[in-house]
Amino acid sequence: MEQASVLAGLRYLVPEIALLGVAAAALFSHIFFPRKGRRAAGWVSLAGYLGVAVLVLVSPRSAGELFAGSLAVDGFALYFKLSFLLAAALATVLAFRFFDVEGSEPGEAYSLMPLTVVGMMVAVSSVDLITTYVAFELFAIPSYVLAGIFKKDRRSAEAGVKYFFLGTLSSGVMLLGMALVYGLTGETQYRAIAGALAGAANPLAMAGMVLVLAGLLFKAAMVPFHMWAPDVYEGAPTPLVVFLSTAPKAAVFALAVRLIAGPFGPFEVHWTPLFQSVAVLTMFWGNIAALAQKNLKRLMAYSSIAHAGYLAIGLAAWGEMARWAIQFYIIAYIIMNAAAFGLALLVRKGDTFAENVDDLAGLVRRSPLAAAAILVLLLSLTGIPPTAGFMGKYFLFAAAVGKGMPLLAVAGALNSVISLFYYFRIGKAVFFDDGPDGAPALPPSGPLVVLAAAALALLVLGIAPSIVGSFAVAAGLGR
Amino acid sequence: MSYLGIPALTFITFLPLAGLAAVLLVPGRRATALRVVANVVAGLEFLATLALLLRFNPGSGEMQFIERADWIRAVGAQYLMGIDGISLLLILLTSLLTFVATLSSWKAITERVKEYYAFLLLLEVGMIGVFVSLDLVLFYVFWEVMLVPMYFLIGVWGGERRLYAAIKFFLYTLFGSVVMLVGILMLYFHYHTFDLTAMLAAGAAPAVLQSWVFLAFFLGFAIKVPMFPFHTWLPDAHVEAPTAGSVILAGVLLKMGTYGFVRFSLPLFPDASRKFVPLIVVLALISIVYGALVSLMQKDMKKLIAYSSVSHMGFVMLGLFTFSPLAVKGAVLQMINHGISTGALFLIVGVVYERRHTRLISEFGGLASRLPVYAAVFLIMALSSIGLPGLNGFVGEFMILMGTWNTNWVWAAVAATGIVLGAAYMLWLYQRVMFGRLENPANQSLRDLSVREFATFLPLIVMAFWIGLYPKPFLALIDKPVEKIIRIVRSESAPAAAAAAALPESPPRASERGARAEVR
Repeated sequence: MEQASVLAGLRYLVPEIALLGVAAAALFSHIFFPRKGRRAAGWVSLAGYLGVAVLVLVSPRSAGELFAGSLAVDGFALYFKLSFLLAAALATVLAFRFFDVEGSEPGEAYSLMPLTVVGMMVAVSSVDLITTYVAFELFAIPSYVLAGIFKKDRRSAEAGVKYFFLGTLSSGVMLLGMALVYGLTGETQYRAIAGALAGAANPLAMAGMVLVLAGLLFKAAMVPFHMWAPDVYEGAPTPLVVFLSTAPKAAVFALAVRLIAGPFGPFEVHWTPLFQSVAVLTMFWGNIAALAQKNLKRLMAYSSIAHAGYLAIGLAAWGEMARWAIQFYIIAYIIMNAAAFGLALLVRKGDTFAENVDDLAGLVRRSPLAAAAILVLLLSLTGIPPTAGFMGKYFLFAAAVGKGMPLLAVAGALNSVISLFYYFRIGKAVFFDDGPDGAPALPPSGPLVVLAAAALALLVLGIAPSIVGSFAVAAGLGR
Repeated sequence: MSYLGIPALTFITFLPLAGLAAVLLVPGRRATALRVVANVVAGLEFLATLALLLRFNPGSGEMQFIERADWIRAVGAQYLMGIDGISLLLILLTSLLTFVATLSSWKAITERVKEYYAFLLLLEVGMIGVFVSLDLVLFYVFWEVMLVPMYFLIGVWGGERRLYAAIKFFLYTLFGSVVMLVGILMLYFHYHTFDLTAMLAAGAAPAVLQSWVFLAFFLGFAIKVPMFPFHTWLPDAHVEAPTAGSVILAGVLLKMGTYGFVRFSLPLFPDASRKFVPLIVVLALISIVYGALVSLMQKDMKKLIAYSSVSHMGFVMLGLFTFSPLAVKGAVLQMINHGISTGALFLIVGVVYERRHTRLISEFGGLASRLPVYAAVFLIMALSSIGLPGLNGFVGEFMILMGTWNTNWVWAAVAATGIVLGAAYMLWLYQRVMFGRLENPANQSLRDLSVREFATFLPLIVMAFWIGLYPKPFLALIDKPVEKIIRIVRSESAPAAAAAAALPESPPRASERGARAEVR
């Protein structure tokens, strides 16, 4: 009986299993064909993401929980699985160009990324503390390696080590929290925990919740656990930063949603102020710190911290509206961040890439298309219509106001204004400043394609945001 | 009504966008072709908006040409457009001034011509969109769309401190509008719709909510107007913007603030509007007097006119918040008047700036002998701005003062000093630039207005005289909508409502006739 149900459950895991296969294929092609195999590994993984995305779309939805109550393959999980695949695919396209210019191509990146995605895909489906923790580690460990993939480059190595030490610490904190919750309730399944915690608020249980959430906040680089992000994002190879700054964050928000809607549901009065303060702190901290940055990647690192703050508004104002808001914003965020870090791969400087905002000076003359796309991107990052970034913020603020937290929405709105200041320093460089004399026109490249496609997508989603919702409904995603 | 099978309002909103696409298709090197395309599009847009008058029923205070479609179903936002007489007048002003601004840029813009016209046309999309939207989310989207092209117009083609002015403009207005966005959301969770007409039909919100949302909207609109103390972005933006940018900034963008008050604040928050009358009136009076005093002190012509806008827009705000039908109608008319005369004044400064590349008053003097046509145009517009009877400014200001006098004579008395000061700074400016001996050798060889330049002024001069001598067709357009709004604002306590219903018909008519008699 048990065995039969386990076997029957496997068909819900087809996308994950397939992606494991992709990771293995990429690994083998990289190992067995040392010369051409690296790029081939990249193409294998890229094709793999597309194929697995199709598998996700046609995947059956589990009515209840699978594998003795540890996994739930519902629309909500599938939606986020697609978002990870999107992030990984964008990062891979950008990686091609990056490795071309850098002159070395660590092929294992192409197998580590699918592996990370498998971990995240399992994580968003898990409805059990142990499965959650295992999946969490499954996507955390390869991501440390990804950050430090250029072993000989000091900054990359430093990024990897930093990420690893702080990451394992946070995992430990999270595990401690889980242990507390388990010790008090004797349950690991979310549903059972919710039932056990529904009574009086036990301080130890609350401590457990806070520790678990702190582990998540760390992974999403939210204040006060954000310190690692700028260093890691600056040091790690840019295309991998695209991946590390988007997909894990999406996973964390999905996990947080699962937790606050599930086991910690009875503690709503406690986690609401927690997320409120985290949201406000993260937004302000990220945006204000970004004001002082000159390095493009550090600036974007702080910007991505701020965006996690906006997303936290959705957790604070959790409800039907917030669910839709978070789901929409995650997609917008992934597209924006991929394009934003892609920006750092657009312009070459010497034998490497532009590092500072000033290096983008006069870009409008070198490539009007890139400049137009950057304009859309900056508007979207700031949250100005008609772009996806505006719609996402608008939904989040609406959720907050709907929950009776207009001041939270005001804080978010004010942050848009602060962020305008540093985003449009990039705009100023691109449009107003004079570039180096005789700089050649920008040749078409992967980052340019990503940037242009992202700009188009941001515009379309900004004018007709309903298509995400309609698509999600039509494909049975979202719930 | 529709054009080419496209509903009229959608057509006029997005025609400039089609024009933008056309501009983008022309190669950047062919500057003349770009200019022709942009001017033709702006001209066509003006004709298209003019044609709205054919089917528009001025006898109705209701929204007309309504277009409604689902937009974002998840949050109930609709694609909802409609206009009444107030919006129609402002749309006409917008398309006229955009055309004038486009024409005036023919020679002034020689760099990045393609982008320039693209941004100008994009700006027009935003401006028209603001005036036709009846769904608050749609309104907000157009409201923000406007910021970007203006930012670039100032930042790329502006004066020396353009970057500072551009980002300051952007930050100030964005700050106001994001707070307004939260206000819009608060309204949504009361009415469960973003549809303005449905909100009005549902009746006023609770007083506490009204107050908060009123303040949120106030921030957005007051920065745009701009009212003292939110006006500090304006002198920078105006001075640094290229001529066409100043024309549109002063002519149309400032009106969006006052339009917001008329269209949204007054009818949606009647109780809060009444409650905050003291605040607004005091700020309006300060704007009037302070703006005029600061204008007196200016050495730069553009800055002088910029501060005069603060003063003039103070009049509009004062008129709106008296809730007297006469004054509110005067205020709406004054929005149009200010657009025409201040737009023209910025063009006038632009003419000499193009020739001399300076705007300092001390650089000029005695120009009248060398540039007679220019002097005549300048004189007409200066007098229109002062409010000389027979020209447009008089009608609006007189109606505002008259209506205000009936409400509270102290306010009217303070405001009247603004008119006196206005005459002082304007005439003094004229005197210093035009009269005296032409001493500066750099001015010896100045050319008078070219035919094209005169053509840009002609429609504005015609409008100034038309509104000044025969304002009836314009007032006919705003009569009904204004009365409808005033009924709502005044309608909380029943007896007052009855009095208000009786009021608008008789006395204002008489005084309007009085105003017109005096004009003749």
